[in-house]
Amino acid sequence: MKRYEMIVIGAGPAGLSAACAAAEAGMEVVVFDENAKPGGQLFKQIHKFFGSREHQARIRGVKIGENLLADAKKLGAKVVLGATVLGIYKNKEVSVRLEGEVRNYKADSLIIATGAAENMVRFDGWTKPGVMGAGAAQTLMNLHGIRPGKKILMVGSGNVGLVVAFQLLQAGCEVTAIVEAAPRVGGYGVHAAKVARTGVPLYTSHTITRALGADTVTGAVIAEVDGSFAPKPGTEKTLDVDTVCIAVGLSPMSQLADNAGCEMVYDGAKGGYVPVLDEDGETSLKGVYCAGDVCGIEEASTAMIQGKIAAAKAACELGYMSEGAFAQKAKGYRESLKKIRAGMFGPANKGRADIVATDEGYPLSQSLLKNGFIAERETADFPTFTYGGGTRVVIECTQNIPCDPCQDACPKGCIRVGADIALLPTLDASRACTGCGLCVGACSGQAIFLINDTLEDGHGTVGLPYEFLPLPQKGTSGKALDRSGRELCDAVVVDVRNSKAMDKTPMLVMKVPKIELGRARFFKVLEAATSGAEEGSVL
Amino acid sequence: MIMPSSSVEKRTADVIIIGGGVMGCGAAYQLSKEGLSVIVLEKGELCAGGSGRNAGGVRQSARDVREIPLAVHAVQNIWPSLGEELGVDVEYVQKGNLRLGRTEAHLEKLRGLVDKNIEAGLCLRMATGAEAREICPYMSEEVIGASWCPTDGYANPFKTAFGYYQRALDHGAVFITGVTVTGLGKVRGKIRRVSTDEGTFEGESVVLAAGYYSRAIAETVGIEIPVEREDEEVFVTERLPPMFDQVLGTAEADFYGHRTKHGSFLLGGVSGLQHFTSNHEGHPTEAYTAPSLVRAIIGFFPAFANVKIIRSWSGHFDTCVDGVPVISAVDEAPGLTIACAFSGHGFGISPAVSIAIKELVMDGKSHTIDVSGLRYDRFTGSAD
Amino acid sequence: MTVIVREKSTDSFAPQAEDDMLVCRCEEVTQGDIRTAVHAGLRTFGEIKRYSRAGMGLCQGQTCQRLVRAVVAAQLKVPAGEIGRVAGRAPVRPVVMKELALSTEESEGVDDYAE
Repeated sequence: MKRYEMIVIGAGPAGLSAACAAAEAGMEVVVFDENAKPGGQLFKQIHKFFGSREHQARIRGVKIGENLLADAKKLGAKVVLGATVLGIYKNKEVSVRLEGEVRNYKADSLIIATGAAENMVRFDGWTKPGVMGAGAAQTLMNLHGIRPGKKILMVGSGNVGLVVAFQLLQAGCEVTAIVEAAPRVGGYGVHAAKVARTGVPLYTSHTITRALGADTVTGAVIAEVDGSFAPKPGTEKTLDVDTVCIAVGLSPMSQLADNAGCEMVYDGAKGGYVPVLDEDGETSLKGVYCAGDVCGIEEASTAMIQGKIAAAKAACELGYMSEGAFAQKAKGYRESLKKIRAGMFGPANKGRADIVATDEGYPLSQSLLKNGFIAERETADFPTFTYGGGTRVVIECTQNIPCDPCQDACPKGCIRVGADIALLPTLDASRACTGCGLCVGACSGQAIFLINDTLEDGHGTVGLPYEFLPLPQKGTSGKALDRSGRELCDAVVVDVRNSKAMDKTPMLVMKVPKIELGRARFFKVLEAATSGAEEGSVL
Repeated sequence: MIMPSSSVEKRTADVIIIGGGVMGCGAAYQLSKEGLSVIVLEKGELCAGGSGRNAGGVRQSARDVREIPLAVHAVQNIWPSLGEELGVDVEYVQKGNLRLGRTEAHLEKLRGLVDKNIEAGLCLRMATGAEAREICPYMSEEVIGASWCPTDGYANPFKTAFGYYQRALDHGAVFITGVTVTGLGKVRGKIRRVSTDEGTFEGESVVLAAGYYSRAIAETVGIEIPVEREDEEVFVTERLPPMFDQVLGTAEADFYGHRTKHGSFLLGGVSGLQHFTSNHEGHPTEAYTAPSLVRAIIGFFPAFANVKIIRSWSGHFDTCVDGVPVISAVDEAPGLTIACAFSGHGFGISPAVSIAIKELVMDGKSHTIDVSGLRYDRFTGSAD
Repeated sequence: MTVIVREKSTDSFAPQAEDDMLVCRCEEVTQGDIRTAVHAGLRTFGEIKRYSRAGMGLCQGQTCQRLVRAVVAAQLKVPAGEIGRVAGRAPVRPVVMKELALSTEESEGVDDYAE
């Protein structure tokens, strides 16, 4: 039987990273993936990643996927698609359904990187067509170019719910509301803020109780919940939606590890049953490793590092890397893991509702946690919201998230994060902002705004990240919206910057009365400019 | 409501039953119904050994003559009304058993089985290939003849075991799972003591119905049961529209199976290698077993080619040296009743076995059903 | 393995509002079915699966497993991790018999980069 030095199951971020690392070390590697397209979730992830440069921060998931695939090819790791692994048997034998038959291969080392699947919640009508996972909606949009519906209710405000809600808006859907059963928004505040300022209401302590409709979804009922997540009678609201997206977390797809005979353990914080692993990702079975979400739900950035550690260990075991070289590599990877796991959303703080202040000691914005946007009165708590006397950036980054592209982006060194990338960025007032807007395009959280208060007619400008099509042209008039998405005043686009370095996060510069500079954070094109011809192309 | 508890308070009963499979649950039902107090000890979860890894055949044909009284009693007197008795749908279907042959040698073997079974009073016959296809039109021309026992059938082993369990609970039996029996002991001339990893239990009688694991437990009181494990695999298809209801087997034991009430087919067998390669632990399936079974099945039933398999499992038979169980009181260890070594065909006779166990425990002998050929001491010489 | 003592139920089965709601959509098992199984004395996921078929369908419990555990845990008032799981069994994805019949032990490696 053909035996590979390494078989990787799953061509997502963990699997591809493992394959590249193993191939680079000199191993003969094959990656099997059941999907027609590689990359796992990466190719659906059109948003920019967080982290530091080593974590490929500021690069969109889809691009990271392309890079990994190109690397795999260059390094000689074979990636076989449409190849469904059906079972793992003793002696690391793997059954693969491929091209209408089942083929068996053996491996000296095996990396299980099968990722995760979406969780479901039960409510009246949860099995109706029109109720789908947020990830499924993302697949429809970003892989197949199909809008999942016209009017969407998003259930869940973790990063998946928030990111997909934003992508639904980008695809031209209406997101009627986001509901979150917990009293706090689950995902990054910056993700919530970029959705909220477009006008999407975010209801914390709310849940869906019913999907209406005979055959498909024609509406949804939401209700406020009490402390034990039970709906409060009399708080029901009916929403006019045709699609309900569920984003209530993921469960590791650990069946293959279980099937292989790996020791399993239930870990609620990791999302369910996961294989028991040592610090290199090796399971209870010698030479069988796991990496990525199958070991416990985390971010793609983490998965990539886990894949590299497991591959390095396998390479070391098979004589492709000295013990010393492995120890050194593993040390670097673990440091990188530690960096990306830092902050209030890291695994150590997951689910904690008792964090009230940032590491710097600033009180967390309660409005951001409850409503998805920072209340104006809270902006005074943070030093990066001040402007005046010329062109200045306002950084609306108020939670400890491991991320630092802003400091790399500023050519003048005005923005500083430091070695602990979970700390909030600071502004160096002694350095002059040239107003280039590169930081606006670089911030993965779309939380940086460029304010100029020097216009003479009682107006100023707000430069804001704007990832929607069609991109308004200079001279387009519309409304300025505040952080909650409420219409503030008339606004007109006076500049659009869209350099290559901004990587498709253009900066729209809108002119608003000076008095609104601290509030105006989004630009809404007037209805007349968008409706009409485009409507016909929906669905 | 069940009582989750890690503090075991009740430690004595009239009968301690070791094993929470269909045999243990059945015995618990029969004995508690008679008013005896019963504790069942199970090391894993209920219905998870042979009973939980079971294709559910209820077959009289092709059995050793020593087992036939149990099989006939079960089919004639118990199975048709068992669901009613237990208040659960045990999904019993009596639509016959076809044992298929595709060579003259197969037919020769089948004729031998049929003759022996007829001699033991069973109603079955040989069918030609054409007759067999008339009974089950999905068979290919590969089949040139079959044995046909119209009174055989199948049932749902889970529903049966859990039905016995529920009714035993109703009659006051206590089940304790997660307790591993480590040995038996005599107290004042009788087997009464049952030692476990959770302390000692004591009963007036002890029933040992722990499948293969009965061997090691019996050994602690000097009783040897010549039984070993033989791995088998079963796989399940997707739910299908009605096709046929006969239970299938082959002369060469290439596979066996039937359609369940749910609509999926259960199809099982062995590859032949497994017995020599498996360490019998953890119930792993083997890469080569399902493909080899599938090839045989498609040969006999071409319509299965496009049917999906959705799950497979492995389990082991507790195979006795002579292929039939031990169902016996133990003369030299009074108080002990053994029911094990069912060798892969215990489920179909389980309702009858439960009655035999009850009588062996209460009266020292089984008078309703003749189990005299299944004594524990039949292997080494004269029992007398 | 946790030790579980099971004795005759003294409570009668108390229906709940959402008992007719599906939990396992592959096998169309409702919350009431799961709660009935628990009330009947079944305690672990393995037992409940064998009793109710929850988790036996095409997805092999990937979708319902969490939901079933939640119903059982609520009923028994024990942590979800004590209920157990649906065993991961081959084939982890459905496979057509004729494809499995063509199963081969490959002596050659796979073709390079199938896309």
